Amino acid sequence: MDATARPAIVIDNGTGYSKLGFSGNSEPSFTLPTVVAANESFLDQTELLSSSNWIAQYNAGIMADLDFFIGDEALSRFRSSGLYTLRSPIRHGQVHDWDTMERFWQQCIFNYLRCNPEEHYFLLTDSPVSTPESRECTGEIMFETFNVPGLYISVQSVLSLSAGYAYLKSISDDDSDTTSDMTGVVVDIGDGAPQVVPVVNGYVIGSSIKSFPFSGSDVTQFVSQLLQERGELLPPEDSLDISRKVKEMYCYTCSDIVKEFKKHDKKPDKYIKHWTAVKPKTGVPYTIDIGYERFLGPEIFFNPEIYSADFSTPLPELIDNCVQSAPIDTRRALYKNIVLSGGSTMFKDFHKRLQNDIKKIVDERVAATNARHRVEVKPIEVNVVAHPIQSYAVWFGGSVAASNPEFFEFCHTKEEYEEHGASICRTSPVFKGMY
Amino acid sequence: MILLQSPSRFLLRILQDRVISGEKGMDIDCHTVEFDDVRYHIQFSMRNPKVMVLSVALPLPPPEAILYDGLPLGAIEAIKTAYGPVVQILDPPKDGFDLTMKINLTKLPPDEEQRNSILTQIASIREVVLGAPLKLLLKHLASRAVAPNVDKLVALVHRPNESFFLAPQADKVTIVYPMRFQDSIDIVLATSFLQEFVEARRTAALNNVPSCMWSPAPPLELKGVSADALNANAGFVTFVVYPRHVEGKKLDRTVWNLLTFHAYVSYHVKCSEGFMHTRMRRRVESLIQALDRAKSDAEKLKKLVNGGSFKRLSLKNEGDSRF
Repeated sequence: MDATARPAIVIDNGTGYSKLGFSGNSEPSFTLPTVVAANESFLDQTELLSSSNWIAQYNAGIMADLDFFIGDEALSRFRSSGLYTLRSPIRHGQVHDWDTMERFWQQCIFNYLRCNPEEHYFLLTDSPVSTPESRECTGEIMFETFNVPGLYISVQSVLSLSAGYAYLKSISDDDSDTTSDMTGVVVDIGDGAPQVVPVVNGYVIGSSIKSFPFSGSDVTQFVSQLLQERGELLPPEDSLDISRKVKEMYCYTCSDIVKEFKKHDKKPDKYIKHWTAVKPKTGVPYTIDIGYERFLGPEIFFNPEIYSADFSTPLPELIDNCVQSAPIDTRRALYKNIVLSGGSTMFKDFHKRLQNDIKKIVDERVAATNARHRVEVKPIEVNVVAHPIQSYAVWFGGSVAASNPEFFEFCHTKEEYEEHGASICRTSPVFKGMY
Repeated sequence: MILLQSPSRFLLRILQDRVISGEKGMDIDCHTVEFDDVRYHIQFSMRNPKVMVLSVALPLPPPEAILYDGLPLGAIEAIKTAYGPVVQILDPPKDGFDLTMKINLTKLPPDEEQRNSILTQIASIREVVLGAPLKLLLKHLASRAVAPNVDKLVALVHRPNESFFLAPQADKVTIVYPMRFQDSIDIVLATSFLQEFVEARRTAALNNVPSCMWSPAPPLELKGVSADALNANAGFVTFVVYPRHVEGKKLDRTVWNLLTFHAYVSYHVKCSEGFMHTRMRRRVESLIQALDRAKSDAEKLKKLVNGGSFKRLSLKNEGDSRF
């Protein structure tokens, strides 16, 4: 059996979580936090590694460099023992620590997926604003260390778009709109670097990409801030962790803040939730109340000024700016297909609120045009697409793409790498419009 | 993690999740591939919530290894002893697979620890099936009974189209692996890794382990084997296993380690490459630092036309220059 007959491996490395699995499956085999806990007691030399240092390391612990964990194990080891330091190789969607990233991939492939990298094609994902150098480094690590037979580094936004299409096709009964022309705006809000990316006919309009500075981790911070300001007793070492769990379980998006405040005040029993847990250090159980945070958390996407004074463009306006900066003939198609992806878009009713807000902006503009030029412009249809697999939409899109038999022809192969070097990975066909 | 682990993480997680979630949950239909071409297919549907179907496909056997009904010798008995009533083998296996089992979730023991250990055993299905003939031979060794095929060379499936050889004798078993790698760098690293292996055995602390030898040419035990099976570009590794290595609990671990020897070596070769890359990067960084020191400070701060200025970034900062 050669590599093209086996399912390809799809790895989506995000700032917060990495999703790994085999193509052809409908959900990732593993979703782990992108962290590595390494035993760093031997790696504190800042000078050049001399031969004596190497021997010391060898004697002190043969295989000390293999003493590391990733994912949830890393977090639990880090908490239980002081020997490990936690590192995240990916910040704001881009890899900035290649050593840690290489180790992360090592454990992913050999410990979690348990496959031989020489026998599978790989599909990795990359942020649309990542540098060509980072793609080159990725290609180098994959081809040199793991000897993969073929590699394809795809852009996350295009995969989210194809995931949206695949899902809609699977649940719709009519065949009218099955021609996936791959046009839409992808709003990708994960744990780091949320971006609004317009994609037209399968390729990304790089100049119109807009980024939003607040991501899932900021919502967690905000919830934690609100809880502490109100005087709830959160054990400080766990406060971010608890806020994250609170956010995932109880937060929702409201349609209007003022009305929501009134609703909460009128019927506290219906809206206020309680969280009981045990303090890790003392073992004493405690309860905290969760009230306004439930809807104020996700509100930072629509009213960023409640969280930070630096940025005040709400997300719907940003999406509108993005579409307006795209070529004029694509705008209607873009408004019609706004796709959400990423874990932080899974708040209840997020898509409804986003659709209403964007529609308001668009309708205002259409009315102003109508009034000024005395014409009747056709109303612009705004459609925000939401589906239950948003949190791993990129992975799912990758799995769909890699199960296509033509996928193997698009990959950069090892022979090409050996012939031309790592620079073959720099170009991403998505930007050149090779589709 | 130094040694590869026996249970498949993915299968174990699915089994545990299923047991915990009980009545609710969604349909599962997943394919997984493991190293050396072992494929799993696990299926579960809400229409039949008490049953999960697991299919396993084994690597293509080389001509000298013999399989009975597509499975290694003794595999079916091994499965029955390991899992008892929880698992039922379906015959014929699903299309494209060599073995299909039906796991009956209601027959799991109620005690949580026992349940977890059975689930872990099920997730180690690979060890049970592929390791069955090896286990038989080693059990004979442990009990010091005379094995039925003493002094005969046995070939077992190791990887697709490759096998490893066992020469069982009354008081010891000799195991020979022809090691093959595809990439030239891998071959070099593997050769030195294996030679290091042999060297490490000489240290005093490791006197009790099976003795281990490496040679570039096929050793004498493999006299009668066809030349095809013998072309190994990273030499031959020989282990000699004595009864004390396979007593009691050690038998399972010995079987697993021997089964996945090639994967183990390949894992460590890749880790060494990764480690060397780390050292190379650190070296480049220190050289760049030395270069930076040689520049005068005024040169480092370049002026742009519009009055802004930027400082030359070092290798470390290249990643977050965008934001």
